[in-house]
Amino acid sequence: MEQPATRSTEPAPGKPLAVVEGLTISYRAGDGDVVVARDVSFTIQEGETMGLVGESGSGKSTVARTLLGHLRPGSRIDSGTVTVLGKDVFALTEPELRDMRGSQVAVVPQNAGQSLTPSMRVGRQIQESLKLHGLPHSLERIAELASLVRLPTPREIIQCYPHELSGGQQQRIAIAMAVATDPMVMVLDEPTTALDVITQGAVLSLIQELRERLQMSILIVSHDLGVVSAIAENVIVLNQGVVVERGSARQVLTAPKAAYTQRLLAAAPRLHPAPGAPAPEPISFDDEAPILLRCNEVDIRYPHAHSLAVKGFQLDVRRGETVAIVGESGSGKSTVAQAIAGLLSVENGEATIVAADDQNQDLRRPVRKRPPMVRRSVQMIFQNADLALNPRRSVGDSVARPLKLFKRTRSRAETRQRVGTLLTEVGLTEAFARRVPGQLSGGQRQRIGIARALAAEPRLLIADEITTALDVSVQADVLRLLDELRERHELSCLFISHDLAVVKVMAHRIVVMKDGYVVESGRAAAVLNDARHPYTRALLDSVVEAGAEHLPSVDIEQRVRKVDSSAAMVDVGDGHLVRADEGAEV
Amino acid sequence: MNVVTAVRRAKRLGAVTLVGITMVAIIVLLTILSPIISPYDPIASNANRVLLGSSWEHWLGTDAYGRDVLSRTLEGGRFALLVSLLATSISVAVGTFVGTIAAYYEGWIDGAITRVLDALLAVPAVLWLLLIVSVFGTGTLVIVAAISVVYSPAVARVTRAAARPVLRSPYVVAAQSRGEMSLPILFREVLPNILDTILVEFAMRACWVILLVSTLSFLGFGVSPPTPDWGLMIQENRTALVVAPMGTLSPIIALSVLVVGLNLAADGLGKYFGVDRAMRGVA
Repeated sequence: MEQPATRSTEPAPGKPLAVVEGLTISYRAGDGDVVVARDVSFTIQEGETMGLVGESGSGKSTVARTLLGHLRPGSRIDSGTVTVLGKDVFALTEPELRDMRGSQVAVVPQNAGQSLTPSMRVGRQIQESLKLHGLPHSLERIAELASLVRLPTPREIIQCYPHELSGGQQQRIAIAMAVATDPMVMVLDEPTTALDVITQGAVLSLIQELRERLQMSILIVSHDLGVVSAIAENVIVLNQGVVVERGSARQVLTAPKAAYTQRLLAAAPRLHPAPGAPAPEPISFDDEAPILLRCNEVDIRYPHAHSLAVKGFQLDVRRGETVAIVGESGSGKSTVAQAIAGLLSVENGEATIVAADDQNQDLRRPVRKRPPMVRRSVQMIFQNADLALNPRRSVGDSVARPLKLFKRTRSRAETRQRVGTLLTEVGLTEAFARRVPGQLSGGQRQRIGIARALAAEPRLLIADEITTALDVSVQADVLRLLDELRERHELSCLFISHDLAVVKVMAHRIVVMKDGYVVESGRAAAVLNDARHPYTRALLDSVVEAGAEHLPSVDIEQRVRKVDSSAAMVDVGDGHLVRADEGAEV
Repeated sequence: MNVVTAVRRAKRLGAVTLVGITMVAIIVLLTILSPIISPYDPIASNANRVLLGSSWEHWLGTDAYGRDVLSRTLEGGRFALLVSLLATSISVAVGTFVGTIAAYYEGWIDGAITRVLDALLAVPAVLWLLLIVSVFGTGTLVIVAAISVVYSPAVARVTRAAARPVLRSPYVVAAQSRGEMSLPILFREVLPNILDTILVEFAMRACWVILLVSTLSFLGFGVSPPTPDWGLMIQENRTALVVAPMGTLSPIIALSVLVVGLNLAADGLGKYFGVDRAMRGVA
């Protein structure tokens, strides 16, 4: 075991604020003990930002939370100490702990939307944490904090209830609450996971700015190598509770020594090639393939909604082509997917697909009114694989259902055999047919989701954010599988995602949406390398990647303007369409 | 299933649930076996042996007509158990059907069904029963029907509430996007996932129905004397509470054991079939 004093690769800027030494945490599960963290040691110096990286189940959150004296019920510390500001956290009494939490050590939770009390104005919630620690809590002070976290119109915003704020604003309030008491150490537990790319960039910049201004030490926990790389000076990589690598962010995230870190980095898709690595060749696609899906001037409205969710949507998908739709939440990208899948109906415009019978079929009607042939031709893979499978049905049953529904098989034996084939095709074994979703990992569930979609023998696969819930290494496998299957079965794929790096790996063409409008579309290379619309550029600028040390500007959110509803789409060459909004280069 | 897996499964239920199930099982078994194990004819009166205390001949003493209290207690659950089994089954079946339909169709159908349910629920249960019984008489079937009418709306409200979140879950959306019809969606996707709620509802309703049936007998609308029945026994023997307390206490104890047992069992089964089950990954 290394000694804390010799660990830091750079000279310590100040005295150590938090020292974790030989920490081993386990909990009882069934008959045995599960070790969450094994012999974890690290030191956070004054003013240092430490990143804790790992995949789900690596124990990173558990370790981080010990700085606040938190332990999940049922788990216990087998050995080791956690010393914060010279005090052994787990030797403190409950009142002492309470006193320390929030005043000297503060935490920003992962999902601020869920950790703010819904029935209380956010200003009052900030006030509460000030009051609790006996600090001045005038309206002035609260507004000051709100403006510190760069909330526009702070005086009005502190009078709002949490649901009236956007996800980014909620996260800023949570940060304001954490910094209200001027803590020495701030623990950020996946602070941007629930946020859109642009908002994430802005929040990260804010954290960086606050750190410098308030002289805090920060422990940031994330599964996202880019997030950690953008903020942290030193990084610790955890794998199944064990520290596999530590060092400066630059060294760990650009030239990792541990095999695990190397795998993790290699698995993460990148928008910009890693420093030193060769640029991957662009994915090419045969433009002569026949058009499969055609959407022309499509308007979509949610039932009983006042305004349209998607306006004038335009898209052609060729046979065998992957078209990605990118945009933030609320941009209408999932709405388009749902309409094509028939879960919403198209209000105006033209939407057709060359169905499995090679006839051009109408897609405007909802799924109930579509003939079976059309329903079969369009299959959807869902975002949350664990929720998209019926927990009470076996895997075999779930995969067999479309076979029976679309009469793909004639006998029970044939169905069983076909299910086995499908499961093998998605990289599982026939034995999985007897399991239920609860017994599978996230990646396996998503494979089942893909197998179920394939069972119908579709022409078009709609993949709606299918890797959002997966770890990086699993995501890479699932994406590769999807691409292989697309090629083998000559499927077209509509790939909905907010992650530009993933889109870059998968898509032949990209459609960028904002506020229900398409703002830019074209070949993947053209859109990513030669973005003409200000929104596309903001999206690209906001991406933080491992090894990249730049941060998007703090006000990037404000730079993004509303889309001009009267603007026209202009062809800037080779099918690259750009909406002629203010600031667009057309 | 062999003995080992049976024991292992029983262990997972937890001690409290097992106690509950045992309590219910004892009462049900004794009631079924009562014709064989009753020491005396429960309706044979004997004027010479009136209001006796506990003795080796009459373990729980005798009542005002000299009838053996033990025999009457053993047989007295038959009507209540039979009626509650039938009435609960009907209530839960009808309620589940109406509730899931309301949840599935939403919109005005849901609104209409829910308002009717609310109206039915607004009338107190005993009042409903008395009304129906006084119009149609006190036959077993009438009472079963009356209790079903009273309890179906409550079951419907519960299953509607349980089905609503399930209907919004991605696996139901997945079924809709395949173009599944309403019935397969309800039976394949929704029902298995609200089964825990339905089972618990069944156990809870069963114990309320037993109390309700006993209340009816107590009020004189259930079984007619001299047939032994717990509710009726309490009513008959309460005047002699001081002289021969076991005449009143034994049906009360029997009822309590059954109701408490059902409650414990319902609670444990709910956990077993609900959260724990999904966590363990058992279909």
